[in-house]
Amino acid sequence: MSYRIAVVGDQDTVTGLALAGATYAHIHTTNEETLAKLNEFFDSEEIGVLLITHRVAEELGYDFRRMVRTKRLLPLVLRIPDKTGYVPKVDELREIIRRTVGAEIMIKKEGS
Amino acid sequence: MAIALAVSPTRMELLKLKQRVGLAQKGHDLLKEKMDALVIEFFEVVRRIQEARMKAFDQLSVAHRALSMGFAVVGTLETKQASKETKRELQVEISTRHIMGIAVPAVEVGEVERNALVRGYGLHMTSSVLDEASREFERALKLLIELAELEASAFAIVRELEKTKRRVNALEYILIPRLREALKFIMMRLDEMERENFTRLKRIKAMMEKRE
Amino acid sequence: MSADRLIKFELSKLNVHLPERRLSLKEALSSAKPQVMSRDGSVHTFKREELEFLAGLLPEADRDKLQVPILIALEPKLGRGTARISGEAEVKVVSQVLEKELTAVELLIYRPEVAILRRKLPTTTQYLFLW
Repeated sequence: MSYRIAVVGDQDTVTGLALAGATYAHIHTTNEETLAKLNEFFDSEEIGVLLITHRVAEELGYDFRRMVRTKRLLPLVLRIPDKTGYVPKVDELREIIRRTVGAEIMIKKEGS
Repeated sequence: MAIALAVSPTRMELLKLKQRVGLAQKGHDLLKEKMDALVIEFFEVVRRIQEARMKAFDQLSVAHRALSMGFAVVGTLETKQASKETKRELQVEISTRHIMGIAVPAVEVGEVERNALVRGYGLHMTSSVLDEASREFERALKLLIELAELEASAFAIVRELEKTKRRVNALEYILIPRLREALKFIMMRLDEMERENFTRLKRIKAMMEKRE
Repeated sequence: MSADRLIKFELSKLNVHLPERRLSLKEALSSAKPQVMSRDGSVHTFKREELEFLAGLLPEADRDKLQVPILIALEPKLGRGTARISGEAEVKVVSQVLEKELTAVELLIYRPEVAILRRKLPTTTQYLFLW
């Protein structure tokens, strides 16, 4: 089945990915507005991939994490750095690895 | 040491219990093998994610730099306008594939990279700088979509891994010990009962011999 | 007793991802979309590059002996971390991929080798649980 791409983040991220063909876009304003938009995106049957910047995801905090945890199979959610390259110190995947295997495995430094 | 299973000490029960222990042990061993296999799959996906992340995020930086150039040369307003006018109809094909019975998404991105004509923003505004930015973002988008697919697979594997681990632990630390306790109890009781029987028979025999 | 039923249920799920019928390498290569139907109804597609890689490791005659997906058999009695590959053509191919000496018709491999095999042949190998 065919699906579209949605992007949520700052001006630059949204402009850039829209130029690349992303259909749905939302520039982050207030948490309330962005969460409401995200609800729309998660409910939509058309969106296959949702790209959101780490910064915005962090600002939205628990509410966003819960949305991702309780979503259906689609859209696939990917957190991406914005133009400053910001990625959080705590990487979800590394946490899972540590939890699963009980060992610390270095994840290579993400692209600057 | 509470015996959680109430069983009557009969040979039938003994036999049934032995079968149950056998089944639980078998289940435990196999689920452990499944866990090991899932860990292998998980680490392979993680390895691919690390590679894919580096590539995708590097390309995203490159794209952002090109975009800043675009803003500088063409102007912020024009650039934003272009992003609104551009054909934003990229589609991806998402289907499911299976790894060891776990459903993971399979994503196919069509041709992401296009040329200015196809992109559709006003030709009068076309600047090669904008083209460059669009192209870099198209490349980034493709890599990001591939990354999204890999991360989704990793999470699906982890979920299954945790579920399996819980089952292995329940068997190893709860069910099997209880079954073995119950087994020990029955065997003990059966032994006792046999000894009691044996002594009783001996007494009866002695009594009968005295009579004669 | 319901614990028993749960255990039996989990066991029945272990091999549900396997195909009802495997394809010979020859059949797979000749098909435009090489795939098999799994027991759970899902379709499993083989990557053409893996099939071609496998073909390169075997003489023409063996190509209809090799069955894909190649099964990596996990059996508790083999001991944890040990897996078995069966089948003459399968063993030939796996031995080469793992750069091991070709010995018999059956091959025992260990966890790190299983990892290598799965990395190189992700769609043409699958786990089989035996008991």
